[in-house]
Amino acid sequence: MTVTEERPAGEVGSARRRKEDARLITGRTMWTENLSLPGMLHLAILRSPMAHARITRLDVGPALQAPGVVTAFTGRDVADVQGSLVCAWPVTEDIVQPAHPPLAVDEVRHVGEAVAVVIARDRASALDALMNIDVEYDELPPVLDMEAALADDAPLVHADQGTNRAFHWVYDSAQAGAGDDFEQVARDADVVVRRRYVQQRLIPSFMEPRSVLVDPTSDQITVWSTTQIPHILRVILALVTGVPEHKIRVIAPDVGGGFGGKLQVTPEELIAFLAAQRVGKPVKYTETRSDTMIAAHHGRDQIQDIDVAARRDGTVLALRARLLANMGAYLGLVGAGVPILGAYMYNGIYKFRAYRFECTGVFTTTAFTDAYRGAGRPEATFAVERIMDELAAELGMDPIELRRRNWIRHEEFPYTTAAGLTYDSGNYEAATAKAMQLFGYDDLRREQQARRESGDPVQLGIGVSTYTEMCGLAPSRLWGSLRYTAGGWETATVRMLPTGRVEVVTGTSPHGQSHETAWSQIVADQLGVPFEDVEVLHGDTRSSPRGLDTYGSRSLAVGGTALVQACQKVIDKARPIAAHLLEADPGDLEFSGGAFRVRGTPEGEAGKTLAECALAVFAAHNLPPGVEPVIDADATYDPANFSFPHGTHLCAVDVDTETGRVAIRRYVAVDDVGRVVNPLIVEGQVHGGVAQGVAQALFEEAVYDADGNLVTGSFADYTLPSSADLPDFITDRTETPALEHPLGTKGVGEAGTIASTPAVVNAVVDALRPYGVTDVRMPCTPERVWQAVSTASRKGGQP
Amino acid sequence: MIPEAFDYVRPSTVDDAVRALAAAGDEAKVIAGGQSLVPVLRLRLAAPTVLVDIGRIADLRGVREDGDDLVIGATTTHDEVLHDPLVARYAPLIAEATATVADRQVRHLGTFGGSLAHADPAGDLPAVAVALDARLEIAGPNGMRTVPAADFFLDYLTTALGVDEVLAAVRVPKLPGWGTHYEKFSRVAQAWALVGVAAAIERADGTITGARVALTNMGPTPVRARAVEQALVGAPATAEAIAEAASRAGDGTQPGSDLSASADYRAHLATVLTGRAVSAASGL
Amino acid sequence: MRLDHDFTVPVPADEAWRVLLDVPRVAPCMPGATLTDSDGDRFAGTVKVKLGPITLSYRGTGHFVDRDESTRRVVIEAHGRESRGSGTAAATVTAVLEPVGDTTRVRVSTDLHVTGRPAQFGRGMIADVSGKLVDQFAACLAQELTGGGAEAVGARAPTQAAVGAPAQAGMDAQAPGAAAGSPPPGAGQPVSPAAPGAAAEVGVAPEPVATAPGPAPTQPTATTGRAAEPIDLLEVTGLRALLREHAPTVALLTAVAVVAWVLGRRSARR
Repeated sequence: MTVTEERPAGEVGSARRRKEDARLITGRTMWTENLSLPGMLHLAILRSPMAHARITRLDVGPALQAPGVVTAFTGRDVADVQGSLVCAWPVTEDIVQPAHPPLAVDEVRHVGEAVAVVIARDRASALDALMNIDVEYDELPPVLDMEAALADDAPLVHADQGTNRAFHWVYDSAQAGAGDDFEQVARDADVVVRRRYVQQRLIPSFMEPRSVLVDPTSDQITVWSTTQIPHILRVILALVTGVPEHKIRVIAPDVGGGFGGKLQVTPEELIAFLAAQRVGKPVKYTETRSDTMIAAHHGRDQIQDIDVAARRDGTVLALRARLLANMGAYLGLVGAGVPILGAYMYNGIYKFRAYRFECTGVFTTTAFTDAYRGAGRPEATFAVERIMDELAAELGMDPIELRRRNWIRHEEFPYTTAAGLTYDSGNYEAATAKAMQLFGYDDLRREQQARRESGDPVQLGIGVSTYTEMCGLAPSRLWGSLRYTAGGWETATVRMLPTGRVEVVTGTSPHGQSHETAWSQIVADQLGVPFEDVEVLHGDTRSSPRGLDTYGSRSLAVGGTALVQACQKVIDKARPIAAHLLEADPGDLEFSGGAFRVRGTPEGEAGKTLAECALAVFAAHNLPPGVEPVIDADATYDPANFSFPHGTHLCAVDVDTETGRVAIRRYVAVDDVGRVVNPLIVEGQVHGGVAQGVAQALFEEAVYDADGNLVTGSFADYTLPSSADLPDFITDRTETPALEHPLGTKGVGEAGTIASTPAVVNAVVDALRPYGVTDVRMPCTPERVWQAVSTASRKGGQP
Repeated sequence: MIPEAFDYVRPSTVDDAVRALAAAGDEAKVIAGGQSLVPVLRLRLAAPTVLVDIGRIADLRGVREDGDDLVIGATTTHDEVLHDPLVARYAPLIAEATATVADRQVRHLGTFGGSLAHADPAGDLPAVAVALDARLEIAGPNGMRTVPAADFFLDYLTTALGVDEVLAAVRVPKLPGWGTHYEKFSRVAQAWALVGVAAAIERADGTITGARVALTNMGPTPVRARAVEQALVGAPATAEAIAEAASRAGDGTQPGSDLSASADYRAHLATVLTGRAVSAASGL
Repeated sequence: MRLDHDFTVPVPADEAWRVLLDVPRVAPCMPGATLTDSDGDRFAGTVKVKLGPITLSYRGTGHFVDRDESTRRVVIEAHGRESRGSGTAAATVTAVLEPVGDTTRVRVSTDLHVTGRPAQFGRGMIADVSGKLVDQFAACLAQELTGGGAEAVGARAPTQAAVGAPAQAGMDAQAPGAAAGSPPPGAGQPVSPAAPGAAAEVGVAPEPVATAPGPAPTQPTATTGRAAEPIDLLEVTGLRALLREHAPTVALLTAVAVVAWVLGRRSARR
């Protein structure tokens, strides 16, 4: 089924402008950094310049003398009370979980680790006073290379743990009963292609730097934070600090982007909490971009060894992925689980008979890694989509033809993969056909041939990515089996106000995802109320006490479903009241357009609207006997399965073989994200997602030097592209509803990022394949591309 | 971050600016648009005790003709340069290079003179000034002096400006009839040049009669590609002759290696980009 | 980061060896360095490097790790801390003298580690700056070792070209490109004292002597005459390696080494 261009009858499906935009783009909102409380103090953090060192001397005395300074303290000063940050996803039973004090106590393990704080009356004084802190380090060897870190005699990041190996996690389709044994199947294959891919380290570049304000002066300690996860933060603050959970209130006000980078309980949040408790006054910390770069968690950073076994005719048989995943110096909140999320996606949309996955988590003296848009799934998708192209080249087949021979056909759903997941729906044929047509695939292939033959210094490359991903995190039972400590449900409350307006409370925590708009659209259709009459509350544990927040493309698929169910409950509760008012049998009533009518009554005839029911329960003068005077409702939805968005992205690049520059000439994204609530929002998510995926392919890389300095510590060196570096995206959709999610939606937050990176790199390699190039390491910088061409040319390759 | 504390002086005349600088000694720093200095201050890589803001000195701003020269006031913003009809007519190379400087916001605040005085080897305008044989007019305690662009850039971020001197204006010879092109190569649109090439070419009857070529970021200062120029003058304006000349672009350069490019790659880029810049300037 | 230098000086190895061990004589070769204390084995001091608007200042100490007369090999370790901010710089400098007839071949290899802001935000600046510092240090050392005429022009750190020291700094041992491979242009050639041309170049900067500050009256103790004339470094190299002089309150410095250390703590100045 494809999208029709007709205007939808209801709110769902219409391209509503975002409710949030007016306040966000005119600056009429309060970001955490804008908040100011009476008596508020400012906190500054001294960070380690060393990658790995013992702190031999640390004296905040001189800082205390500086103007405006109220107090200062070190990790040693609070060693007994500061606790440790938490790993919420201990992926194996024997995972190594080193203590992660918010302030380093005796040893620092990455550049940027917090070692001391100054609290002053204003921010500038706090920052100035940092300069006066007397600190000396005794250098320890940095641990940077993952393979070297695993050697027997390697220096250790955590000497007390005796190893740099954090965990070793295995999935095997034979053991899981989801397929055959990799080795066995590979032995009988005609061809085995083996590649190593490097997922470079990336830095989530959210627009709003992280900020936290803690007010300890009222009965509840209130924490404002730029977080994606106010609910999870509250639980963990209670667990770590010992302050009872009901005495903590967490507020995530408008938050300026996260991309997974704010899916964390951070050292800074705990430090600010501790500081506020110590001084008994509100304390605010706002980082600079430089702090973000060195101290916020990073993403990706994996080495992937991939083997694919196939028959000569192009039938794929078996797949193996062996990973090294860089944890950095500590385990982040869900960092260890990131590669495990990917484990279920390496097989992509293809029918492998056997699949084996192994991942070793490794400690290094670098910033800890954790979720970054896609979290494990972009890495997996990259590996399989890249190696499918390599296999196609090996077999002399068109890469799309190879995919077509191996993907799950639409009539084969539901389909259980070798990774053990059951995909409920999909139509890869439709998405691919549409993408190829929009792209002009055959014409571009012809042009490519002509340019190869003429020896054009600018070569054309075509890359494809037929991705799928698992979204709608997540079935709680499944989370449990993967040793994740929380659940995956989501909750919604619908409150009918006496005047007929609707207040919706969601447990999701938007930070750019437009929940206020989309949730209003859903409620408008469900309850038959105007879009404008719906108010969506979120991100405050006082108004929204239950929830599991926003990440993993989960909010609409899970939280949206909870919302629909809550709306249904409202209608169910209102029905007997309406029947009573209409003097009819509840069973004879039907609800549509916001009103109950006796079945058979012509449209337009008077019925009882939901607003009338709301007023009736408010007054409660005339209710049927035994009926509670309320029609508000809560619902909590725990999905039975993931949702599986998919799609086909095609990318054409011009590669200037003289300079190595890659320019994207045409980019087509056809995504199937299920039912679409608001096409404008979906479009925005796809654009942003593709931009971030392209950025990994061509531009971004966090680099540590041999001493463990993050040498890409600013945007001068960490190369973030802008719109000027990106093409116009051609986007379209197919729509195969998610069968196991009542709303039919699948999730779109990560799709673009997951799909685009391999499409772009496949295009770059495709352009250079006549030269004998089989890979270009990401990001495919002009110099790397030029090196690939020069090296291959020296070996005799030519277009 | 927040810069360290400093005193701020905003003189309204050049003389006052020079006096303020002289009074402050070597811990003073001139600020105009602040697009290079402020980031350095915020990262606390620099901590001058006094900032002398020359941004409101009317005499330092604007573009005028003076005989065979164009005179560009030092605090004329990039955006003003970009849209100035005299620049477009007599020194299009400056406009072309200016259009590649950072982004629109930076171009509205950053100044032409500031780019030169900052002397970032990756900045675009120093090479243009060197290619055009611009002369820099400098105000100091003893009045004005003029320094040729070739002698102005001494080293990485270092110029012939004394601590109590202010760059007042830049005098650029008009080059009627010359073709020009600035070829910039950067990782992303808003980034500094990995390598840039400024070229101005004069042709007569299919022969190159004049050539000025200078390179951005091929050493600690902009480099005049003399070997390329010598090979071009008198050569036919053909792709082959230009390629042959461009192959000498690396002569006498000392490109550095950094995260974005190795020295070898820079040397390679210099030849390719020189060929392109000269071809474009020659109308090929 | 490893930086290698190789040059030849026209004096016998024994003489060069004596000079090499004379800390007060060699230390000022480090641009912007002020030696504050030296007992023969250990020394302390400050180094301040000014580069356009950028100022890096360190204070620290150094010591001789090895002084082997038989192999004429000296190893010096120095370590310093940023006066503002918590960045550090550490260097191990190994110098080996080898007699070549009446002349001496000097090989200086510097292993340099810099942390903190300069390493994080510099767009590769630290490599450029370090390379330059070591170049100048080596060039000046060559000058010192050459002896003759050094007194007259000693205040002047010769340019690389004038000294004929190669001063080719590779980023690291694996990919040095120029440094390891081809012999540097000046190698094997006698070193001449600072060429007059070097001074002439200064002409482009008008009256630089007048505009740069001379040594302050509060000059700390052990500063040598040479270090007290930083202006010449500025003149010849364009690197504004000016000494910090407000240092009484400051701890002090380093020297022979490569990167150095100063104090100039702002709070002390106010």
